[in-house]
Amino acid sequence: MADKVKLFVNGQEVEVESGKNLIDAIGAVGIEIPHLCYHPALGADGNCRMCLVGIEDGRPPIVPACKTKAAEGMKVLLDADHIKKIQHDVMELELINHPIDCPICDQAGECKLQDYYMKYDGQKSRMTVKPVMKAKKLDFGAGVVHDQERCILCARCVRFTRQITKTGELGIVNRTDYARVNIFPGRPLANRYALNVVDLCPVGAMTSSDFRFKQRAWFLTKSPSICQGCSKGCNIFIDHNREKYKDDVIYRYRPRLNEKVNGYFICDEGRMTYKAENDNRLTTGIVSGKETGLSEAVEATRRLISEAKKTVFLVSPNNTLEQMYAIKAFAAEAGAALSGFSDGYIQEGDADGYLIQDDKSANRASFELLGIEGSKDGFDKAVADADLVISFNNDLSKSLAEADLNALLEKAQLVYIGTSLGTCASKAAVALPIASYSEDCGSLINIDQVLQQFAVAVVKNEPAANLIEVVQQLGGSVAGVKEARAGLMESVAALKDVNLEEVPEEGIALTDNEVSNVAA
Amino acid sequence: MSGKVKIMERRGKDLYERVYLIEVFKGMATTFGHFLRNFLDNSKLLVRHYPEQKPEITARWRGRHRLTKHEDGSMKCVACFMCQTNCPAKCIMIEAGERTDGRTEKMPVRFDIDLLECIYCGYCVEACPMDAIRMDTGIFSVTGNERESFVMKLEDLLATPGAFSEEEYKKGGA
Repeated sequence: MADKVKLFVNGQEVEVESGKNLIDAIGAVGIEIPHLCYHPALGADGNCRMCLVGIEDGRPPIVPACKTKAAEGMKVLLDADHIKKIQHDVMELELINHPIDCPICDQAGECKLQDYYMKYDGQKSRMTVKPVMKAKKLDFGAGVVHDQERCILCARCVRFTRQITKTGELGIVNRTDYARVNIFPGRPLANRYALNVVDLCPVGAMTSSDFRFKQRAWFLTKSPSICQGCSKGCNIFIDHNREKYKDDVIYRYRPRLNEKVNGYFICDEGRMTYKAENDNRLTTGIVSGKETGLSEAVEATRRLISEAKKTVFLVSPNNTLEQMYAIKAFAAEAGAALSGFSDGYIQEGDADGYLIQDDKSANRASFELLGIEGSKDGFDKAVADADLVISFNNDLSKSLAEADLNALLEKAQLVYIGTSLGTCASKAAVALPIASYSEDCGSLINIDQVLQQFAVAVVKNEPAANLIEVVQQLGGSVAGVKEARAGLMESVAALKDVNLEEVPEEGIALTDNEVSNVAA
Repeated sequence: MSGKVKIMERRGKDLYERVYLIEVFKGMATTFGHFLRNFLDNSKLLVRHYPEQKPEITARWRGRHRLTKHEDGSMKCVACFMCQTNCPAKCIMIEAGERTDGRTEKMPVRFDIDLLECIYCGYCVEACPMDAIRMDTGIFSVTGNERESFVMKLEDLLATPGAFSEEEYKKGGA
C-alpha cells in the first residue's frame, strides 16, 4: 500500500494516498473535484482550468488540482466563494459557443458539461453576440463522428492518439475561436482503438457512428461483464435495453476500468462483438433440419449418445471454466473422448502487444487447468473411429476446411450445442440453443492467467437454457454453476486457494507456476 | 379531513311511504312533467344534443396529439425522446434516424402514440423542448374498430392540424 498523507479539504481532515494528484487522491475518498481535460490514463494537461482549487496559506494560493500532488497538511479549499466563482466562470466560458443541441446529442445524459452546468453554473447565457458556427458531423474514420461545435478543446482525444495508440491522427489546429480538433487532410483515424475517443470525450464532440441515434443514454442498463472477443478478457459494460414490446437488446460495449487487465480502454473489434449477441442467434432446437423445442432436441441427442459406439465431446475455448468442468465430468460419465481442438480461433500475428491478442477465444487458459487437450493430432485421433461428435459451442467450421468438415460428417454425426446459426448449426443432425455469455455467468482465465468472473447481464424475453443446464439434461451430473465451482475448488490444484464464489472485481492472478504444475 | 358531519334521517319508515304506490306516482309526475315540457318546446333543454351539437373546446383542452411543423413544412420534432422519457403511461414509442430534410441531424423515423394507453396528462407537451408535440387538435373522441387503429403513426400525427390560432394557444397557458 502506498503511503498515506493527511490533508484538509474544506477544513475537514481526510487521509489520502500520497504521490497522487489532488483529483485522484481526494476523489478516492469520495470528494469530487470537477475536471474536464484531466483523465487518469492520459495524465494532467491543465488546459481546462476547471479543477482549480484554493490552497489556504499556499503560494500560489490557487492551483490546478490535476497538476498538484497531495501533500501532508495541505489545506485544500473547494467551497470557498472565490473557487466557486472560478468554477462558475470556467463553465460560462466553455458554454459561450456551445450549441446546446442536447436534444440531438448522443452524449446527453452522460455529459460532463450537462452535469457541471447543473452543479456549478445554472444560469442563462449572457451572450448577446452570435455564437461562432463550426463544422458538424465530420467523419473522422473508424466509426468516429466529430462535432466541432460541441468540442471544448480539452485535447483528451488528441492526447489519446499521441500517448496511447502513438498514431497521432488528431490535432488541434488554429487558436482561439478558430481552434478545432481535426484530422490531417485525407488521413482519417486508422488505429484499432479509435473508438475509445468516444468514451474519452467528456462532451458530445466525439460520437460513434455505430451507436448514433440508437438509444438515449438514460434508457440503457449498464451491466458489468467481460469481453470475449479475444483472450485478453477486457472488462466492459454491456449497455442494453428492453424497449416496449421488444426483446432485451445490446446497443454497445464500453470499457470498464481494470488496472490489472485492460486499463481504461478496449479495442474496436471487441467493442463490435456485441452484434453477434443480438443477431444471427440460434433460438430453437433443430432435429434433422426441422425446428423443434428444446426438449425434443435434448431427447434426440440422448438417443444419439446411447446409440453411438464412440462419442467425442468438443469443448470450445470460449466455454467458461464451470461449463468446461461440467462437460469434462459428463464426458467421464458417458465414456466419451474429450477434445478442445479449436485452431481456427487463433489468428496468428494479429496481436499488437497492447490489448489485442492472437487467440480470439476467451478461456483457452482453462484447457491447461483442466487438462483438456486442444491439439489437431489429438482431435484427429479421437474422431478417427468416432460416430458422434458433440460440439459444445465450438464452431468447427472455423478450425476445419470445408472438405475436411464434410469428410468428418460423413462418418460421424454432429450435435451442435451453440449460440449462433451458421455452418455448424445447419450441418448438425441436432442443434441445441444455449444462452450466450451476455445471458450467462461464469469464470474465465485470460492469457495472462488472471481469473475473472462475469454475471448475467441480458435477460431475453424467452431465455435460452445455459450450457450447464443442457449438459445436465443430457445426463451430466453437475447441477449448476455453484456445484461446478465447488467441484473445481476441490479437484483442481491451482484453484485450491481460490474462492470461486467470491472473486474480486479486478480478478485473481493465478501465478504461472501453479498453472504449469497442473498442466505438466 | 375533519369535515362537518350531517347525519341524514333515513326515509321510508312511515305508512305513507310504505304504501309505495303514492311515491311512485309522485315520481312519474315529475318525469312526465319534464317529458311534456320538452315535447312541446325543446329550445330550453337542459342537456346537449351531443353527437349533433359538439361542445365548445378551449385552447387549454388536452385533446389528441399532433406533431407540429416549421413554416417550410418540415417537422419540428428532433427525436430527443423527452416525451417518451417523461410519459407516465409509456405510450410513446420513438425510433430515431438521420435527418433528411436539411435541418440539424436527427429526426424520428417512427413515432407511435398508443391512444389506448395514453392518459392525456400532457406531460409530453410540457417536456418537449422544440414545441413539436401539442394536444391542441380539439379532438376529444377517438373511435375505431380494432386496436391497431388507435396507434397514431408519425404521418397521422403530422397530418392533423391544430384547432386554434397561435395567439389563442399561447393565451391558453402554453
